[in-house]
Amino acid sequence: MYLPKRRSWELPDSALTPEGHYLQRREFLRTLGLGLAATALLPASLRGASSGFPGSLNPSFKLDGVKLTPLESVTGYNNFYEWGLSKDAPSKLANQGWKTEPWTIEIGGLCEKPAKFEVNDLIKALGGIEQRNYRHRCVEAWSMVVPWDGFPLAKLIALAQPKAEAKFIQFTSFFDPKICEAQRSKNYPWPYTEGLTIAEATNELAFLATGIYGKPLRNQNGAPIRLVAPWKYGFKGAKSLAKIDFVAAQPKTLWNEMAPDEYGFYANVNPEVDHPRWSQANERIIGGGFFAGKKPTLKFNGYEKEVGSLYAGLDLRKNF
Amino acid sequence: MTVLARILGHKLFALAILIGVGVWLLVIPALTDQLGANPLEKLLHQTGEIAIWTLGSVLALTPLRTLFPRSRVIGALNRHRRYLGVTACLYGLLHFTCHFLYEGGWDGLLKSFSKPFIWLGFSGLTILVILALTSNNWSARKLGRNWKRLHRLAYLAAALLLLHQSIAGKGHWHIARWIVFPLVTLQLARFVKNWLSRRRLADATAS
Repeated sequence: MYLPKRRSWELPDSALTPEGHYLQRREFLRTLGLGLAATALLPASLRGASSGFPGSLNPSFKLDGVKLTPLESVTGYNNFYEWGLSKDAPSKLANQGWKTEPWTIEIGGLCEKPAKFEVNDLIKALGGIEQRNYRHRCVEAWSMVVPWDGFPLAKLIALAQPKAEAKFIQFTSFFDPKICEAQRSKNYPWPYTEGLTIAEATNELAFLATGIYGKPLRNQNGAPIRLVAPWKYGFKGAKSLAKIDFVAAQPKTLWNEMAPDEYGFYANVNPEVDHPRWSQANERIIGGGFFAGKKPTLKFNGYEKEVGSLYAGLDLRKNF
Repeated sequence: MTVLARILGHKLFALAILIGVGVWLLVIPALTDQLGANPLEKLLHQTGEIAIWTLGSVLALTPLRTLFPRSRVIGALNRHRRYLGVTACLYGLLHFTCHFLYEGGWDGLLKSFSKPFIWLGFSGLTILVILALTSNNWSARKLGRNWKRLHRLAYLAAALLLLHQSIAGKGHWHIARWIVFPLVTLQLARFVKNWLSRRRLADATAS
């Protein structure tokens, strides 16, 4: 009688996946949609904090009738100079082993409750996340509409309890020259820094995002936690935050330090004040293909009702 | 070395490279949907980059020939200077066309002329167009000695265009300097070498 002897690498027929199941699996992945599948299959190290999902859409920030920018444009067209100067570099270079979960963020400076949090713990401490659709206007005269997930910055400020002498907040991005090659050069004063006045930071629009399109932030979008101030130019939204400090004087900010005549501290979206090299009157709509066209830029990016009063009496031409 | 020099010196080689760059960086990405979320801007940037690097390489060739007069390879490449110059101009014109389209036509184009940044690019390109139009043998014969003087304007064009490039975006100087520093070094080395050989010649005649 012939008794086949199975070697360690030989699988019994019973262990094989039936062809039908195999094909269905491919079908299933295909129907899952590219974006969803990609996020679901991303290893944990390549995305940010996963706590709190799904968050529900805040009805005050629905932007009725506005078309969202496709996910592949939002995650493939990025300014994130730590990971390259071109728009398509961050989606590649920020995903080559840079870990954004777990991630510690430090809250300090002039406040009663300085603390360090792992970002997931911070999300839990603040009662979870919500979704908001925000217009996004880059200083380079292009725009998107982005569904962010996260929490209002005001919640974090309430937790930290700033002292009376705190007038500004400074945001400091990650600094990790070991993994981030750009930060080994002295071309820019790394780490990236940004700032808001306390009044701006406690405005209902100021938002700390931990997600995009209902999923944890991708690394190229500033995982695991970033600032979103939709009435200001995009560069104000410091990414991959390591520190949030309450300070008494206006903090230094990277682009203002590099080119103070081009990038002001306020950087409010303003179609009437041109950049020295281009007009800010119009913006190109990203993700609409070759001839997507342009649309007129709105003052404060369309959020004048919410933030206009913050700048009453301020000369916006001088304080650009 | 001679074989390599013969290949490099061939007109077809120059044409293949100069057209190939455009096919590789503009045509193929456009046909395969690889231009990203802002395709027109990508074409605008790519055409500008190709133009400035081509101009940079043509300006590097003359000092290289002075510095390495016996190199066959450099001698062969120097035969393509006219092609390179005209190519830089053509990619520059494509770049200007992209700017025209990106600004949404005449109105946007005219408005963009309120910016010195645009004037830098436009005046540099105008020089390149004049040089390209007078690059043929007939013009060279007609202009005689003035032809060389006129074509020295290429250095002015390069200065204007490199400044245009280095302020074109946040931190673009860090790209432009990769052209500026080598060019300046080569030109300095060329002047030093010319000066030394002139002095040697003077010494030889004196003694």
